[in-house]
Amino acid sequence: MTVETRDLTKYYWMGKEKVVALDSVNLKMEEGAFISVVGPSGSGKSTLLNVIGCLDAPTKGEVYLAGWKVDYRNKKSLVRLRRKFVGFVFQTFNLIPALNAVENVEYPMYFNKEGRSKSERRESAMKLLDMVGLEKRANHLPSELSGGELQRIAIARALANDPKLILADEPTGNLDSRTGKSILNLLTRLNNEEGKNIIMVTHDLESAKKMSKIIRILDGRILE
Amino acid sequence: MKELFSLACRQLGRKKLRVFLIVLGIAIGVAAVIGVTSLGEGIRVQAVDQIKASHDLTTIEVSAGVEDGSVTLITDSKLKAIEREEHVLFVAPYVKDSYVAQNNTYLAVKGITSEYRRVQSNLQLEIGDWFDEGKKSNEIVLGYDVAKRLAVVEDLGLGDEFTVKIRLYGEESRLKDKPAVFKIAGILKSAGDEHDNQVFIDIKHAKELDEKDSYDGLFVKVDDPAFAASVRDKIEGLGLTAHSAQDVIDEVNKLMVAITLVLGFFSGISLVVGALMVVNTMIISVYERTKEIGLSKALGASDFDIMKMFLAECVIIGVIGGILGDLLGIGFSVLIDLVGKPFLVSALGGELGAGLQLGSITVVTPGILAAGFAISVVLSIVSGLYPARRAARLNPLDALRQI
Ligand SMILES: Nc1ncnc2c1ncn2[C@@H]1O[C@H](COP(=O)(O)OP(=O)(O)OP(=O)(O)O)[C@@H](O)[C@H]1O
Ligand SMILES: [Mg+2]
Repeated sequence: MTVETRDLTKYYWMGKEKVVALDSVNLKMEEGAFISVVGPSGSGKSTLLNVIGCLDAPTKGEVYLAGWKVDYRNKKSLVRLRRKFVGFVFQTFNLIPALNAVENVEYPMYFNKEGRSKSERRESAMKLLDMVGLEKRANHLPSELSGGELQRIAIARALANDPKLILADEPTGNLDSRTGKSILNLLTRLNNEEGKNIIMVTHDLESAKKMSKIIRILDGRILE
Repeated sequence: MKELFSLACRQLGRKKLRVFLIVLGIAIGVAAVIGVTSLGEGIRVQAVDQIKASHDLTTIEVSAGVEDGSVTLITDSKLKAIEREEHVLFVAPYVKDSYVAQNNTYLAVKGITSEYRRVQSNLQLEIGDWFDEGKKSNEIVLGYDVAKRLAVVEDLGLGDEFTVKIRLYGEESRLKDKPAVFKIAGILKSAGDEHDNQVFIDIKHAKELDEKDSYDGLFVKVDDPAFAASVRDKIEGLGLTAHSAQDVIDEVNKLMVAITLVLGFFSGISLVVGALMVVNTMIISVYERTKEIGLSKALGASDFDIMKMFLAECVIIGVIGGILGDLLGIGFSVLIDLVGKPFLVSALGGELGAGLQLGSITVVTPGILAAGFAISVVLSIVSGLYPARRAARLNPLDALRQI
């Protein structure tokens, strides 16, 4: 899936003061690409991901997902796009504490059943857990798992509806460097083997350089 | 749907104590309503049973119809029409008049048939015989009190003959007193009602003496109480007035249902407390799970999905509250019966109290339990609407950013 932003701009108003989170961002992402976004804190990295992921609306400019222009005023179509095309991975894992590992992976499928029966959904959730190497932890609650395990489950969850695009906002930010590496390896594998488009925000420039194209951002602008 | 509820169960399972407390709050409200309603229902059933025991529900009392100032008399043709109705076993007409004996004793006279005695089964002879029906005889039967009075005032007893004056209103309202001779053929045992003061003669004879060709009233006996109402309607359709014990029962039912509704409504105020507890708990729950809501939206949940999730939790709370409320309500009504009955029996005293002693003063019907359950579920859902809507409308980003 291609991703393209045109003149993407986002302001926040703090009282009368204008905060520029994104400033005319033009970005083109080819099918199956892996992009790492780096930049100082407050430069607009998360904002960029949220707008592309249809969680936030831009002040100006457009986003094209697979060539289709996103209509940010149409709430229903935003929900549909998030269901079908986007998988989110967060810095703080964000698993649902009431649900065990496999149920957490299954959770997004519940909103996007696509005619899959409960057992079919359970089966594909187990396959995803298997892929991230955690099939043995299927029945564990989040409170019983380590940070690295939680993030791998979160990645499996992001894949639940087989999205073309994975948006990962500092997925290794809360992990030690060794566990972080294993997460990066997992993402690389998804990119190489499954052909997923990945946009990742990271502060680990060294690791990111080895596996992806780097985009630097400062004060909401992309540095060439 | 099943998954929605199993997910809701999981969420509720994480805060068992809190859920238990709201459920208990709702259940107590429901139980209060059930207890009070069962008391009203119990007293209604008791009252109706007492009426049924002392009244014959298969008998309909018919009198001349009065409508807009015009009177519809009970003529022979009307009588025949009623006799022909389905479910009518027999018809017992009567005529009434008052005659004056020699020493100015007024006699309330009723001309009757043997059917009349079948309806009024408390007319039992003390001595003597009933007159032969249809035969033109001057024999009469005296009620218990009349017999005593005639014995004292007129010095008359069984087998005696005496003359009475019958006052007739002739043409141009001229009065005409007509004499007639009667023979006392029998005397009744005390019936304990107005019959003790009446004198009975054969209906044909009475009509002749009175120069009447209509009846003053009649009793209609039907084969089954279930058809009394329809037969009564038919009789009223003829322009006549009809009453049955069912009228009294209907009145009692109407009154008791109204009283029960009012009491139920006020005891239902305790439900408001339960509802507020649900609102409060669900709002807290929305706050606690703000991040989870944002996450769900990021993972593809629509506003409606979120709303459904919260409402499903309310439904579960309502269902458990309803079941527990029904159980508590049954217990509550048993308690009212145990504690309240001795009090009511002594307060009412006499026959009424004795009647209560036998049965239970509370009755829990399936309808009451179903209503209690429904109240609990509906109340929980309604209380959950605002919190659920609030959850559904959260901005996913703001929600995700929460600590
Ligand atoms: N809801 C908001 N209201 C006001 N200002 C906001 C809001 N969200 C973000 N901003 C501002 O927009 C700018 C970009 O924020 P963003 O979260 O995209 O930065 P970031 O690059 O992800 O930073 P970090 O590396 O710390 O996560 C910041 O200056 C931030 O203060
Ligand atoms: Mg950020």
